[in-house]
Amino acid sequence: MNRLKQLIGKFGMAFLLLLFISSCMDDTPSIPLGEFEKGVLIMNEGAFGANDGEVFHYDPTSGEIKSSIFESKNGRPFAGLIQDMVAAEGRLFLVANTGKVEVVDRRDFSSMGAVTSGLDISRSLVVANQKMYISDWGAYDANFNSPDSYVAVVENLNGGEVSKKIPVSSRPEGMFVAGDQLLIACTAGQKLDVVPLNTEEKTKSLEVTGRPTLFFEEGGRLYLYARDGENVYFHEINRSLAEITGTITVNLPLSTSNFALTDNGEMLIITSTGWPDYNDAIAMVNISSGQVLNGAIFTGSGFYGIGFHKAREEIYVADNNGFQGNGTVIILDRDGQQQKTFLAGRGPSGFKFN
Amino acid sequence: MLVCLIFLFQGFHTLSLHADFNESAVDSLLVSSVWLAKETRVDTVGLEVVEVFSPSLDKYTYGQKINTIGEDNLGDFQGLGLSELLQQRTGLFLRQYGPGMLASLTMRGTSAGHNAVFWNGLPINSPSLGQTDFSILPVGAFDEVQLHFGSGGALYGTDAIGGAVHLNSKLKFGQGHSFQTDSNLGSFGRWNQQLQYDFSNDRISSRTRAYRNVAENDFPFRNLSKPGTPIERQEHAAFQQEGFTQDLAFQVKSDHLISSSFWLNQTKREIQPVMGSSTRDMQQDRNMRWVLDYFNFAGNKTWNFKTGWVQDQLTFNGSENNTSQFFLIGDLDWEINPKISSKSGVRYTHVQGRLSTYAAKENRIELYQSTNLHLREDVNVSINLRQFIYDGTLAPFTPSLGAEWKIFAQAQNEIKLHANGARSFKIPTLNDRFWEPGGNRDLLPESSWSGELGFSYLFKKEDLQVNQQLTHYRMWVDNWIIWMPRGSFWSPENIREVQNTGLEYTLDAIYKIGSWGLEIQGNYNWVRAINQTNISENDRSIGMQLPYTPIHKFQSLLGVNRGLLQSYINYHFTGSRFVTSDNISQLPAYALWDWGLRVGEWEVGALKGRLGFQINNVLNTAYEVLRLRAMAGRNYQLNIHIRL
Repeated sequence: MNRLKQLIGKFGMAFLLLLFISSCMDDTPSIPLGEFEKGVLIMNEGAFGANDGEVFHYDPTSGEIKSSIFESKNGRPFAGLIQDMVAAEGRLFLVANTGKVEVVDRRDFSSMGAVTSGLDISRSLVVANQKMYISDWGAYDANFNSPDSYVAVVENLNGGEVSKKIPVSSRPEGMFVAGDQLLIACTAGQKLDVVPLNTEEKTKSLEVTGRPTLFFEEGGRLYLYARDGENVYFHEINRSLAEITGTITVNLPLSTSNFALTDNGEMLIITSTGWPDYNDAIAMVNISSGQVLNGAIFTGSGFYGIGFHKAREEIYVADNNGFQGNGTVIILDRDGQQQKTFLAGRGPSGFKFN
Repeated sequence: MLVCLIFLFQGFHTLSLHADFNESAVDSLLVSSVWLAKETRVDTVGLEVVEVFSPSLDKYTYGQKINTIGEDNLGDFQGLGLSELLQQRTGLFLRQYGPGMLASLTMRGTSAGHNAVFWNGLPINSPSLGQTDFSILPVGAFDEVQLHFGSGGALYGTDAIGGAVHLNSKLKFGQGHSFQTDSNLGSFGRWNQQLQYDFSNDRISSRTRAYRNVAENDFPFRNLSKPGTPIERQEHAAFQQEGFTQDLAFQVKSDHLISSSFWLNQTKREIQPVMGSSTRDMQQDRNMRWVLDYFNFAGNKTWNFKTGWVQDQLTFNGSENNTSQFFLIGDLDWEINPKISSKSGVRYTHVQGRLSTYAAKENRIELYQSTNLHLREDVNVSINLRQFIYDGTLAPFTPSLGAEWKIFAQAQNEIKLHANGARSFKIPTLNDRFWEPGGNRDLLPESSWSGELGFSYLFKKEDLQVNQQLTHYRMWVDNWIIWMPRGSFWSPENIREVQNTGLEYTLDAIYKIGSWGLEIQGNYNWVRAINQTNISENDRSIGMQLPYTPIHKFQSLLGVNRGLLQSYINYHFTGSRFVTSDNISQLPAYALWDWGLRVGEWEVGALKGRLGFQINNVLNTAYEVLRLRAMAGRNYQLNIHIRL
């Protein structure tokens, strides 16, 4: 008994000492990072008709891979095709192009809610004014066109009903909140749509060269990525005016809309030759000059997503393995030399580096 | 003890054709039936033998396995898709996308398009899709189903790599007038209704059918895609089907026979979305089939000239796809002497496709030769040869050699050995070759070699009959076509090689104790379908089981009858299925119990009838055949059959 008291006393003193030291060091004690707030999240789109999209987690330090973390945490399958994965407000929004958004706690992937109705072919999401704005192609018509595209508004960040649908040009993809305006890249319509957040009505629709897909920031500037059969276009956007102020044209035939930014002003873009060879490659482009630095730093087939781990200076390439089974993640060094491969989920298509 | 009671069986039975030509046209046909086809039961239960027309598609099949499902056993599934019957009452596995939704058959571990489907001798697989949706073939529109297991390319032509399914009309002469109505009322808005009128005298036989099958399909299921996985009613899965058939036979003279069948079938479906999707797809299938046969019986020769037309229209969300096939077939079936019979023929097919993205035309010619050799009283051999030419391209030459040997025969016991080796093929579908974008005109036909060896055992006493059959097979399929994502679209390629190995076991037993009758029927299929190729450096499919191909499937039915009452319990177990070709994830196995009661055939004045009541999925088991495709829980069904 005395020994127990001694132990408690010793540990008690040690605890008080640690508390004192830590309180002197930092007035705001740090909250430990959640299980999935560090490492790499791998977005696996899933196969058409199978709705087997999932998220895997990879720890680049230990090499440990955790598969199907949504189902593991929540005891039910994701049941959708994951199109985008957006972090905001402590949440991770998993956007399914099968008409669903799942909201999970960014720390441990526990479900916080979902939008399960009112969507058709949802593509991406941004958060502004504590609301979700979800780009959606709308239902196809008989010719598989998307004339009824919209941006859906959901008032609660934990999901619920769609409160409003803002009609936009055909096939909206990436979005960007610039001040109090929502910028929307509409691929099929080849438009940059502008929607003020206070009115939630489209006020402007700008012609865009190429098919626009995503926005990106580089060197403090905002660009819209677009492409056609011959070129890639970086359309620079004035945020306050919501206007295109200039365009950098990159002569890169066979480009795709899959790209990643490195840590020194370069962009990595997946290219694909198509018929009959179907050779895929990764091109490296200087963003400010539009110059193709290397048309193929790495080649293969089935490239379906790309990312760049800035801290580790590694390129992550997602290989879909023809959707015949699960995909593969290939890790390259920044020169394109293969370092490692590991198993991903079905149709890996993107990464989120923490 | 149970094993001791089980004996191997091989059944011969004779399909008696019309009296005027049965002696010369067909002798004995090999049929081992899970259903104990009508003729097989004659010896023990005394059912009446009737004169029927029957195409001789299965005549030259010594050494091969064929099961027959007769009309007696189709009644429980009146108006339901053939897929439901095959899934619940055989050892076959069908990939079902929901109740009443697309159902494709896999035989001996092959894929959906690797089985040929015939209606009255015409191949009806869609030339654009290369397969048949078994959910829209309503039970009741045909009188008999024959399942041919294993390669039948030499006998049937393209697609029959894993097997073949034959849907046959069976007409009767000399029956007079009769009117028949069949109703099937069930859970979730099911109402199947069929009307039938028959007339026949000594020379003419006619049967007219009209049917309408509807189901709301709003069954409850656990929605795994939503937080809290709530129980919901299935939406957007309604099914509506209408159809009409007309069968005619005319005995022109004693040695001339003309027969014809016509089938119009239309199905409108809301396509049940996969869990997690809110799609509102609509599909309408319209199928028109017509066949005309002329038979000439000249001594020991039977000439058959056949023509037919099959037109399919599939409209998916307003996008229309049309295909048509026109057939001209002629063959001579010749009993050369008591030991040798031969059939030589040619089949011409003109195929047209007007699909949403392309149009195509094609001519196909097939030459075939079949020979039966009755080497000894107890040894029979079938040799089949076929050469198929499409669009000027030679498909693989397909021979087959089968033999059957009655090893042991006594009054109560009979043991047979059967063996068969065959080559089969499947030509690329129109979509494979011409779909825009992605169609690949350079595709080669898929081809296979297979071999099988089996035993059958029949034990027969006055009050007990036990039939068993055990078959082992091996198959090698090469140039298997897979659609691969290529840039912005998908394109088919001859990529895969697959080796299949399996065991098939069937048991049928009938036991009579006084006024009581007992029936046991069982099927067990063990299938290994192993991929031999990786499609890319990072692929992990080699050495793995093909997706959605259960290694085990077991089915068993135990029935008891007394007088007009019959009750049965049916059980089927489907083993786990891998979801993807790398076998990383799998769906759990499931087992379902069904219970049924039949009353009849009773007579009230001129009326005759049968009543049936079934509870399907008695234990309300939640299961998925394919991942995230909801299936119905416990459901009820009432069948009413009245004949005047």
